[in-house]
Amino acid sequence: MILPYHLVKVCGDAVFIAKGSDIHAFTSNFEHVSTWKYPVQQPIVESKAPSTETPESPAQDGPPTKRRRVEPKKDKASNGHQTESKNGQHKSKKAAQYDVPANERPFVQGLYATGDGRHLVAITGSDKTVWVFEHSGGGNIKLLSQRWAHTYTNPHLLGFVSLNMVPRAMPKRPCSLTFTRDNLTILAADKFGDVYALPLVPSSTPTAETTPDPIATGTPTTTQPPSRSETPSTPNPSAFRPQADAFTVHTKRNLKALENQKISLGRRALQEQLNRPQFELTLLLGHVSMLTYIAVGTAPSTTAECKTREYIITADRDEHIRVSRGMPQAHIIEGFCLGHEDFVSRLCVAPGGREEVLISGGGDDDLFVWDWVGSRLLSKAAVFEHVKKFPGSEKLTKIAVTRILACEWDDGIGVFVTVENITAIFFYELLPDNTLAYREAIPVPGYPLDIDVLNASGTTTKEPRLIVPLCMKSDMANSSVITMSRCGEERWKWEPIEDMPVGDDVNISETELGKIFFSTETLRKLSDFD
Amino acid sequence: MGGKRIKKDKRQKREDYRAAMKRDDISELPRKKFYRQRAHANPFSDHQLIYPPHPDQMDWSSLYPHYIVENKPQNQKDQPPPSQPSSQTVSGESPVYSDNDSTPEPPALRRISKDVEVADIGCGFGGLLIALAPTMPDTLILGLEIRVSVTQFVEDRIKALRAQSLAQSETEGGDAAPAGLYRNVGVLRANTMKFLPNFFRKAQLSKVFICFPDPHFKARKHKQRIVSATLASEYAYVLRAGGIVYTITDVPDLHEWMVQHFDAHPSFERVGEVEQEADPCVGIMRTETEEGKKVERHKGAKHVALFRRLEDPEW
Repeated sequence: MILPYHLVKVCGDAVFIAKGSDIHAFTSNFEHVSTWKYPVQQPIVESKAPSTETPESPAQDGPPTKRRRVEPKKDKASNGHQTESKNGQHKSKKAAQYDVPANERPFVQGLYATGDGRHLVAITGSDKTVWVFEHSGGGNIKLLSQRWAHTYTNPHLLGFVSLNMVPRAMPKRPCSLTFTRDNLTILAADKFGDVYALPLVPSSTPTAETTPDPIATGTPTTTQPPSRSETPSTPNPSAFRPQADAFTVHTKRNLKALENQKISLGRRALQEQLNRPQFELTLLLGHVSMLTYIAVGTAPSTTAECKTREYIITADRDEHIRVSRGMPQAHIIEGFCLGHEDFVSRLCVAPGGREEVLISGGGDDDLFVWDWVGSRLLSKAAVFEHVKKFPGSEKLTKIAVTRILACEWDDGIGVFVTVENITAIFFYELLPDNTLAYREAIPVPGYPLDIDVLNASGTTTKEPRLIVPLCMKSDMANSSVITMSRCGEERWKWEPIEDMPVGDDVNISETELGKIFFSTETLRKLSDFD
Repeated sequence: MGGKRIKKDKRQKREDYRAAMKRDDISELPRKKFYRQRAHANPFSDHQLIYPPHPDQMDWSSLYPHYIVENKPQNQKDQPPPSQPSSQTVSGESPVYSDNDSTPEPPALRRISKDVEVADIGCGFGGLLIALAPTMPDTLILGLEIRVSVTQFVEDRIKALRAQSLAQSETEGGDAAPAGLYRNVGVLRANTMKFLPNFFRKAQLSKVFICFPDPHFKARKHKQRIVSATLASEYAYVLRAGGIVYTITDVPDLHEWMVQHFDAHPSFERVGEVEQEADPCVGIMRTETEEGKKVERHKGAKHVALFRRLEDPEW
């Protein structure tokens, strides 16, 4: 199956569009410049998903590996993709048996650009890796996010240590990331609810090629930079001892667990050594909930007049929007923007000098507009109401907002909202009185998977253009990326980008694809289904 | 087959008992055997929890019926009653909901005259709550517990104690006994790891108790512990400067864990031993919690640590 393009990011004067595990670079006139392909590694013998497991991936947290339900492979599964046909719905069920589930593939799950447009950052899903590219303009990118690490070629023989260049794999799958305003630090929010800070450019590169000093001493480079010493640090987990003794454990089962702990102590210590992330990584804050989005906002400092301060705004699946101070005081929670009654999937700090305004959306019927500094709700704007009026969606009972894009538009601030499984883009305007005025629903010829805006500079057209990768569910091969611009009052024209690289055919079923590209609704709690 | 029948009888008995306890005139203390539940609940799962979207939408009147302010419900958007100096400092944070809301505000949220100031996180069967109530009769105390049956037990227990206290003061007449003890305690089913800020505003609390928390011995389960570097930030958020987190456990390593995490958190400092022992709450925490009594029986050690919430530095 041909994958659709699913992510778009404007970075400086270039446009990057992701498709599966590849990132395609385009100039602002949509001429294809280059393609970055995910480096396929040597398959390991036991591993079912060769490209997802690096030999010393620090992914596993504790000693027992994550247990996954493995569906018994049917006999017919081997010819699964042969029976696959575009007309037969019944056949696709048989064809659903593939070796690797979609979320186990290293698809690009996030594409981010620094404010200065000089770096592009991508997250790949299954291997939890953050890739940093240096963007020298015009769509030319160079992979930066390498680090030096010592790899134990054999876990039982600690003596054999080889120097490897490996990417930065996070402890848990990151779901959103952003940058501090100085563009030096990545803030990554993960599915476990934690937010980590990591330097955009790892300190050991590129100079490390000549002086690999952190490795020479054999110490992992998890040391905390002095500037962040105020941030609470988790006590070193490697100092592991059994947590219980015969006094505190009473049941037979717990006693047995205690015994097992003691037995596996030595093995575990070694494992810890191997599994610890070997790059600079600082835990800033955490929710006990899956994080969905992270943003950075600035506000005037409360003390020194002429200075502004950064704040980290995080949203989670349990309806919270938390406002924490920026580094190095990220442990202090300034407030919560509470009022959502279902998951929050997207945040957007308003541009154009309106940075005190935050727009949020998710599983609720409305968008919320916040004064995030004062934790005040300013207004709400209906989405569901307008979605229902859209042809073909009259019977919907709930919606999931997937994207909120705010940009300067016609001397004002335009807000473009996409909703999962709706073939339209909903256009609002942020008015000076902090309300969102609904303008129109712009129909598009497919399901929008992402949206970004390309400003006019350097192009022939004056109007800013929206870039929207679309997914045609029934006809995936025809999925395209369109650019949209306004021609005249209240009229929109769109045109597909020509000559996009087609890419490889990927052995994946439609349902599996749906799990990746249409997964926002799954954030809803089960009790809410009715 | 026989076992199955007995089991059903047991459940039936339990249901009958609980139904009987629902009646208002009961002043008999509930019996634990009808409220047993397995000791753990996964804090990461969704459960079927009821919590307000915002602390201002929390209906405290059913928990503290004796503190209801008999005002017209329209006064809802007014400032909280001025009994609490702290509540005024944070009242500016209450959201101003625009009047053109499509969803109507829940009608008749009855306000109470005070804010909850003391929270017992993971209150279990409520021993600490009951012991604390008479020592601070003018402070509202709230127990939070994730297990349904256990919460129900504490609820019934408080109801019975209130009735008993009232009856006692009536028979003994007037001033002999303080009328209406236990009116200042309440209990809620909640997952505090997720929803603490849904119940409490910033700097609302003066004391937070974390007594004999689930130790989660396995390294894989450490993320489920009620104390962590990231959760400490939330405790700091609901506590006012000078407020105190009380921790006690019989597991030395959990004690060490809690001390490490609160010590490493810049918003907290450990309270010195002298001050710690002088605090009357520490004695109550040692002897009156259900778990404390159990540890006493097993002749185990109890480890106490108190942490003071510091002022936030300038930003």
